[in-house]
Amino acid sequence: MLDISNLLHNAALLMTVLALIGNVIAVATRARLRSVQTPSRQRVAVGAGGADAVLDDAMEPDVDEGRGLGWYSDRLIELSFVTLTISLVLRSLVTGHAPFANQFEFSTAFAWAVLGCFAYFEWRYKIRGLALLVLPIAVALLFYASNLDKDVSPLIPALQNSLLLTLHVFTAVIGNGAAAVSFAAAVLFLARPHIHWKVLPSEEVLEEIGYRAVVLAFPMLTLMIVLGALWADTAWGRYWSWDPKETAALVTWLIYGAYLHARVIAGWRGNRAAWLLILGFVAVVFTFLGNHWFGGLHSYA
Amino acid sequence: MTITETKSPTPPTRRARRNGPVVAAALGVYRFFHMKKVGLLLILALSILALIGVLFPQVSPALRADPEAYQSWVLDQRVRYGGWTAVLSFIRAFSMFSSPAFTIVVTLLAISIIACTVHRLPLLWRQAVHPRLHASERLFDRSRLRATLEVPLPPEEATQRARQLLSRMRFRVLDDPRGPGANLFADRNRFAPFGTVAAHLAFVLILLGVLVSGSSGFREGQFTVAVGSDRDIGHGTGMNVEVLSFADTYQADGRPKDYVSEVILRQDGQQVARQEVRVNEPLRHDGVKINQAFFGVAADMRIESADGDVLFDRGLPLEWTSEDERLSYSSFRLDQPDVLIYVVAPSSGQVVDSIAPGQVRVEVYPGEEDVPAATEVLTQGQPMEIEGLTFTFEREQKFTGLMVSRDPGAPWVWVGSILLLVGTYLTMGLRYHRVWVRVTPHGDTSIVRIGCPDRIDLAFEPRFRQLEKELAQPRPPETEG
Repeated sequence: MLDISNLLHNAALLMTVLALIGNVIAVATRARLRSVQTPSRQRVAVGAGGADAVLDDAMEPDVDEGRGLGWYSDRLIELSFVTLTISLVLRSLVTGHAPFANQFEFSTAFAWAVLGCFAYFEWRYKIRGLALLVLPIAVALLFYASNLDKDVSPLIPALQNSLLLTLHVFTAVIGNGAAAVSFAAAVLFLARPHIHWKVLPSEEVLEEIGYRAVVLAFPMLTLMIVLGALWADTAWGRYWSWDPKETAALVTWLIYGAYLHARVIAGWRGNRAAWLLILGFVAVVFTFLGNHWFGGLHSYA
Repeated sequence: MTITETKSPTPPTRRARRNGPVVAAALGVYRFFHMKKVGLLLILALSILALIGVLFPQVSPALRADPEAYQSWVLDQRVRYGGWTAVLSFIRAFSMFSSPAFTIVVTLLAISIIACTVHRLPLLWRQAVHPRLHASERLFDRSRLRATLEVPLPPEEATQRARQLLSRMRFRVLDDPRGPGANLFADRNRFAPFGTVAAHLAFVLILLGVLVSGSSGFREGQFTVAVGSDRDIGHGTGMNVEVLSFADTYQADGRPKDYVSEVILRQDGQQVARQEVRVNEPLRHDGVKINQAFFGVAADMRIESADGDVLFDRGLPLEWTSEDERLSYSSFRLDQPDVLIYVVAPSSGQVVDSIAPGQVRVEVYPGEEDVPAATEVLTQGQPMEIEGLTFTFEREQKFTGLMVSRDPGAPWVWVGSILLLVGTYLTMGLRYHRVWVRVTPHGDTSIVRIGCPDRIDLAFEPRFRQLEKELAQPRPPETEG
């Protein structure tokens, strides 16, 4: 069963790579077609034409592709997500615990969450351009995981708390996945004035997508830290130890907290807020990879 | 995290002038701290300081409090940080979380949060209870979400239709008596912005909890008890811990599987709990928590005076380790005679030529002397007379290392955490929306204008368009099933 799980892991990696290539071609082709076919498209006056003329050009979702390459790429992402889900479920059946106990499992689960969050945002907002930045993150995570030790090891005593292991790390995984989407939206937001692809939505929409992703990421990170404190109090006798990994998670949380504050300050909206989202995701990656140099109470993770 | 910016209703400078210089200064400080930019900069400053704490190794508070031990530790860091070591030590990079800079930033942030919350509370209340009902034409002209429709109904019916649709969308609908035409104000999730208040108060509550944790209760991180022995917890608890057994088990590949201490807890002589304490299964009683932390080798020692009086008879946890980590040792002092006694044994898995398996070394220091009066190696079960005392190494044992604590700050932290989660959900999960509607006659029909001036919300936009679509339809909306 473990072999099948590993096989599905590799299949998901391959499908994600293909989906990325498909999206790159789809975006490039559509960008070229749009610029050739509708070079001077006029915006429709908002509200002037009733319910059917309400979307201005910047808000127009990236739809109406039929069953083109983009459509197949989207299905491939969903298939990759399902494949990875099955891979993780099979691994859990073998190990007897949620697949969050070592770096291989966490990296795979992180990639799973990135794909899941992207699939949701793509389905909800139809912003294909996000794929160009989000999918490479998923590919990198799956590739990194595929080079780690995949062997199943029994849990050390500190991790022998099935409920809190599942909840604490699951919230971290979802938070990180949503943070990846917010990062992509922020990068596109900053790049938008310099890239004249019509397939990209307006800066306002990208800013909103970045915020929407944080609406998912921030509560998850909050819950992750609270559950971590609860677990630390049970296993280590104190709810907070300034352990490097838990402090790095706090720094990440503070950066997203700063972003939420920045959004309500006029001078900090736009570019500065976008930079905070990028900084937030850098902190996510730093916390995730920190085990290689942190040590401390999370050194097993 | 606010939905809408609102201006302060009272010009503070005028009020300050009226109240004199002290009040003016206090108001100035208050204004400074409730500025969102100040809060933002303090959050970023806290992030930077915490990051420094992550990047550099941190000494324990106990080590930091011992100047000699701390200097020795800092010298060890020179291998890694070279000439920067002194600078890093000076800026408290190695003890960031107890540094004055960290404390000051956390305190200022707490003040900023309180000031910001106090400042915002009346505005949020007014917004929720007494919202601004009237909208100018400009709002209908410029709102990001807006629509102008010709509805085939007379104005009264069109207004009623809009009211029904908004109510069905779970909006609160209020009438604006001012013209022109018939006007409605509708809002949804009006109490959601109070989530920011809850989240901010939660932060302060958690900081309070941390403060209480640090200044009250107790924490014994190295509470060692040899198997078969007992030890008082102290700190006014009247509690005593007896360890019946300790077992460490391992997987086939050598990885640890389980650490478990069988413990009896007594309070004022009465047994109040008996439990197998594991890493994830602490013993909790009357606010005291006992966690499994570590373990090691203990020596069962018996010491008799020349008269045959038993001066010492219990397991001695050899909880300290020599610098080369080859020896485990511990010490204790006898009152009569006044001697300090060290008991030394090879650490687990170590082979030491001078101390064979089944042996311990005993060093006896009279009074405060630094040089031992006698050093002897004892073999298990064979009494030996040293400095007029009879020492017997009865057997090798294990000791369990427990963490015993009472933390009155923890409940504050948990309440703060719940409040933080509730506040975050309210703020981010339930967004505040406002819609203004104006209905004016247009022959036999009505012109209906709808405007929502709030910031872009991709999740709300389809609902707004649905409202617009249904309002434009000639048939009345279906009632909710």
